[in-house]
Amino acid sequence: MIKVYIKMFVRSFFLQALWNFERMQNIGFVYILKPFLDKVYLDEKSKQEALIRHMGYFNTHPYMANLLFAIVASLEKEKSENKANSLDISISGIKNQMAGPLAAIGDPLFFGSLRPLVACFSILVMLLFMKFLDQSFQEYAIFVPIIFIVGYNVFHIVSRCWLMFIGFKFGKDSFSVISNSKTLMPIIKYAGFVVAIVALFVYLLIFKSSPISNLFFGIKENDLALYIIVFLFSIIFSRLGVIFLLYSIIIICSLVSYLRI
Amino acid sequence: MTESIFFYALIGSFCSMDVTAFGQFMICRPIFCASVVGYFMGDVNTGLWIGMIVELLWVNAIPMGVIVPVDVSLISILSTFWVCKYFLGVQEAAVFALVLAVPFAYFYRDIDISGRNFNTKIMHFVEDGIKNQEYWRMHAAIYVGLFLFALRLFLFYLFAMYVGGLIYSGLYLQLSQFIILGLRNAWYLLPIVGFALVIKEFNIFRKLFFKEL
Repeated sequence: MIKVYIKMFVRSFFLQALWNFERMQNIGFVYILKPFLDKVYLDEKSKQEALIRHMGYFNTHPYMANLLFAIVASLEKEKSENKANSLDISISGIKNQMAGPLAAIGDPLFFGSLRPLVACFSILVMLLFMKFLDQSFQEYAIFVPIIFIVGYNVFHIVSRCWLMFIGFKFGKDSFSVISNSKTLMPIIKYAGFVVAIVALFVYLLIFKSSPISNLFFGIKENDLALYIIVFLFSIIFSRLGVIFLLYSIIIICSLVSYLRI
Repeated sequence: MTESIFFYALIGSFCSMDVTAFGQFMICRPIFCASVVGYFMGDVNTGLWIGMIVELLWVNAIPMGVIVPVDVSLISILSTFWVCKYFLGVQEAAVFALVLAVPFAYFYRDIDISGRNFNTKIMHFVEDGIKNQEYWRMHAAIYVGLFLFALRLFLFYLFAMYVGGLIYSGLYLQLSQFIILGLRNAWYLLPIVGFALVIKEFNIFRKLFFKEL
């Protein structure tokens, strides 16, 4: 059975390989579940019914899906043992009911908190390298993306394994185990906030006398003031979107340069 | 030139596949893929800087539900490739590359949406297969889905790197002095914009100070 679990784990990385607008991750889900169904359903008819059952709409966070397919696999095993038809509805119901809440946990936890945290940490490392390595920065710069990838994926891979383990161990009750670990998100968010602030200060420390001071004000003392203005401008107009901010900053910079020339 | 475009288009498509199709190991994130392209092209510093700007600016670009966000790996890879290919180490040219790469990424998003619509047809092909107990269709569909995803990315990268590169280098040489100075200022100011967006993204800060904004 270990081989089947490993196969399912490897296949979980292909969950969105055939993502489509009609039923989203359904093919990926069936593809992950197939080795397990091959093992538990010995007659072709039952296996076919199980596969058709999982061809419906399915969408959740790709990492959290590991928990869900483990739960569904446990239920399928139960069904294969007692053949109760009532379990059909139960399996589909649990799958559909849990997909949304799991996505609501996964998206802000992994993509909304963890990823920005690790990215900010990598950027902080890069800025520290710039400050302290100076001339030899080029030699060590490649460590920055490596730190990002290793740092993120240690958490990512461990989470996927843990979620799959929890799903197989606790079955339907896994959700309560997951919700007990909700303290993790504020910790990551606080950590991310602190790292982002530190990175910003290091940035200001390094570039306090960048060429922009001479171009905008002509005196270096106003450099920090300019940074604060840009920072507040970005906060206030962030609702207008990244594209607006990107192009408006460039246009404003060009206009100021033009007026000075 | 041709060989290098093929090589970088391959790297680009491999990195961009990570957005949805395979893994989500975050090799698609700008801080990684722009640095890698920069490293191979001999200017890891510019790659890192572009990666930092794009990473911070598009920190909340998440493929959630039916939303197909703009491909940030495409923005960072294209801009790093262009600047390293035509104006190695020129900061102003790097910002201009970023400016030009954004429309390409939006254009690709439309192509990506068409590709995902085509996946629906493959999905129905698999469904019919399961009804007839032809399970091989499921495996084939996964590999075909991945192959098509990689192919459309590869072809788009080839097009954008070559045609976009010609447009980019041609336009940059026509820019006025004041625009170049403006781009140089933006090189230092865009990370500040990014930091502001990241800090705002962390809800804790928003709750404390910027609830009303």
